[in-house]
Amino acid sequence: MMFFDRIWSFFEIVFHLASDPVNLAILFGSVILGIIFGAMPGLTSTLGVALLTALTYGMDTALAMVCLLSIYVGGTYGGSYAAILINIPGTAAAAATALDGYPLACKGEGGRAIGLTTTASAIGTAFSIIFIVSISPLISYFALQFTSFEFFLLAFFGILISGTLTSPDLVIKGWLSGFLGLFLACVGRDMLQFYPRFTFGISELESGVEVVPVLIGAFGIPQIIQVLKDRFQIGETQKLQRILPEIGTIIRNIPAIIRSALIGVGIGAVPGIGEDIAGWVSYGTAKNTSKHPETFGKGELQGVLASETANNACVGGAQIPLLNLGIPGSPPAAMLLGALMLHGVTPGPMITFEHPTFIMEVAAILLLASMAMWVSGMLLAKQVVKVLQIPTQIFMPIIGVLCIIGSYSLGLNIFNLYLMLPVGIVAYFLTEMGYPIAPLVIGVILGPMADENLRRALMVSQGSFMPVFTRPVSLILFIIIIWTIVSQFQFYRKFKTKMADLILRRKTCEAIFDEEIGNKK
Amino acid sequence: MMEKDKLRKADIFSGSIMFLFGIWIISQAIKMPMKDSWGGVQNVWFVSPALFPLFVGTMIMLLGALLVRTAFKEVGLKELRAVIRWLISSEIALFLKTPSNIRVYAITVLFFSLVYLNISRIDFFLCSVLFLVAFISMFYFDDDTLLKKMLYFYLAGTVFFILYFALKLPAILKPIVAFPNDWLMLVFIISYCIYTWTLIRSVPALRKKYRTSLILAVTTPFLIGPIFKYLLLVPMPTEGLIVVAMDTIRYWEF
Repeated sequence: MMFFDRIWSFFEIVFHLASDPVNLAILFGSVILGIIFGAMPGLTSTLGVALLTALTYGMDTALAMVCLLSIYVGGTYGGSYAAILINIPGTAAAAATALDGYPLACKGEGGRAIGLTTTASAIGTAFSIIFIVSISPLISYFALQFTSFEFFLLAFFGILISGTLTSPDLVIKGWLSGFLGLFLACVGRDMLQFYPRFTFGISELESGVEVVPVLIGAFGIPQIIQVLKDRFQIGETQKLQRILPEIGTIIRNIPAIIRSALIGVGIGAVPGIGEDIAGWVSYGTAKNTSKHPETFGKGELQGVLASETANNACVGGAQIPLLNLGIPGSPPAAMLLGALMLHGVTPGPMITFEHPTFIMEVAAILLLASMAMWVSGMLLAKQVVKVLQIPTQIFMPIIGVLCIIGSYSLGLNIFNLYLMLPVGIVAYFLTEMGYPIAPLVIGVILGPMADENLRRALMVSQGSFMPVFTRPVSLILFIIIIWTIVSQFQFYRKFKTKMADLILRRKTCEAIFDEEIGNKK
Repeated sequence: MMEKDKLRKADIFSGSIMFLFGIWIISQAIKMPMKDSWGGVQNVWFVSPALFPLFVGTMIMLLGALLVRTAFKEVGLKELRAVIRWLISSEIALFLKTPSNIRVYAITVLFFSLVYLNISRIDFFLCSVLFLVAFISMFYFDDDTLLKKMLYFYLAGTVFFILYFALKLPAILKPIVAFPNDWLMLVFIISYCIYTWTLIRSVPALRKKYRTSLILAVTTPFLIGPIFKYLLLVPMPTEGLIVVAMDTIRYWEF
């Protein structure tokens, strides 16, 4: 009964939101802006959400969420345009789409591919909503049983797993990046005793490092430097034919779409890893399970469907830990967390008590955003593709100005700019040296949670770490953390191989022994 | 990102920096109250504000050391010696002068001059126009020789402004002329545009790009600025010549 009540209230919220023309105008405007952001190589949905956060400062929370979630959905989908038409993914999330999307465009099926990605992306987002609506109350219920030890371990796990999975080079670098983020979170007066830490007498640092300028700096500045340093040029755009929704193809591929959506939601729900990993994992799974894996990379529709469904399903998946635990599931979700805090909403287990309809509202906005994305994709794709002709040297400086005014306007503080720029420059050098940026950002966001909960937990246990081993959830989280760390070291891999060899040898010996006994008999 | 072999060599240095940074965090954290009283509260180690920074510092130090060890195992002492030799040789100067590095310097100079020098002292619209006109023209022309010349001109202007503010000239000029910083910035923008024009006037393709750069550099702040100022009611970081003129028009009682 309660489930049907939730579904009913969900549709009530959908109709309520859709009946307001202002909401609809913002919804379509933000989705189109998101598609443009996603389509332009060098701009990402994270940057889009970051820059739009400044504009939503004066809006009420619901309208701000319409704006930010729409740009997130549009941005994730928009990356497929550049991937299909110029073989350069507009966002990292669309990297896997380029493998089969571009060969399709070369065959003269670019319109078909974009039609399919549009429908698949809309289905992916809509599918993830089912999980937000159905799983959220369960997670919130469990999270309410969490004590400070669990929250500390959860925050620590979020940073570790994000560092492990997003690192393009050595895993150590991902972890280091996460700990650098934790260090930035230490700056300012600590929340338990108000002792100034790493403030160097600068009064602006006493309240701590502002999250949004750090996020804008960490994602925006390295992007601008990299694109202009490498003289990034947009290649020749393939011709775009009529765009059709391809309902028939979609129906034929329903099992593959559901599998990809599940992968997307699952990966989205893991803290700190985003749409790009969802796209790759889903693409890899589609290839491995296909009867004709040799066709992948040569214009296979299933490949395009798999990556696009998964990366958009990841958007919804990322909202699950964000809303219920206060842990962002992806970098744009980290940006959303910053925006929510600005609007006075603190995501976490208490959200269902403090804002009872908030999770439903987010799900409703995602549904509307996926519909708006589908309509915009079908009707405006040809016009949006024209943005691919704008040289990067023109729009990157404009993004620079937006980063600056965006960081300043949140708090009307010039010190935010003084902070944003060095963070951006350091982030650029870290990126160049193979350090991922997502764990740093997750570290800045989860740092206060980890710090406060660690000390609070030890205060309750009078300095004893025993509750980690006596509380089941803590113990599970502790084991997962240890396994995440240990599994990255060579000695563990060697040990695993040795054990596997040993078991195999034993099995072989047993089989030979059985055979010999059988022969004797 | 760098290539893998270069990355490993760089890892030795970045790992060492991380290791030292970790030590610095620990050294700072040790100074925080651990067992003594702070604000009337007697501390115990597990509620001390030093606990978390100590943990973070130790982890950064350990991971930094681990990174150095991993990289060193792959690179080896011989290669490391070669890298150090390269770092102290004249080749490093050549590396620092490569076009891609100069592009990075140009972006850094543009951002630093805007954020740390201009934005808090000069009208937002004027410093944005300068930032955009210089940024777009330097990169849109896609010519490294031109970029260098424009960067030097921009640097000269920036040095002039640093001296101008350091010598506290605005205080002297203010009684004589209103918004002296803004007028000077306007003069610098015009001179930059004239200088750029003299560089590219003989190339028709660049003339077209120059026009586009100018149009975008002027229109963008006038599109973004009013949205923030009048729609979102965000006061500009510095409101000078242009903002006052815009306010006069906006609040004109016809």
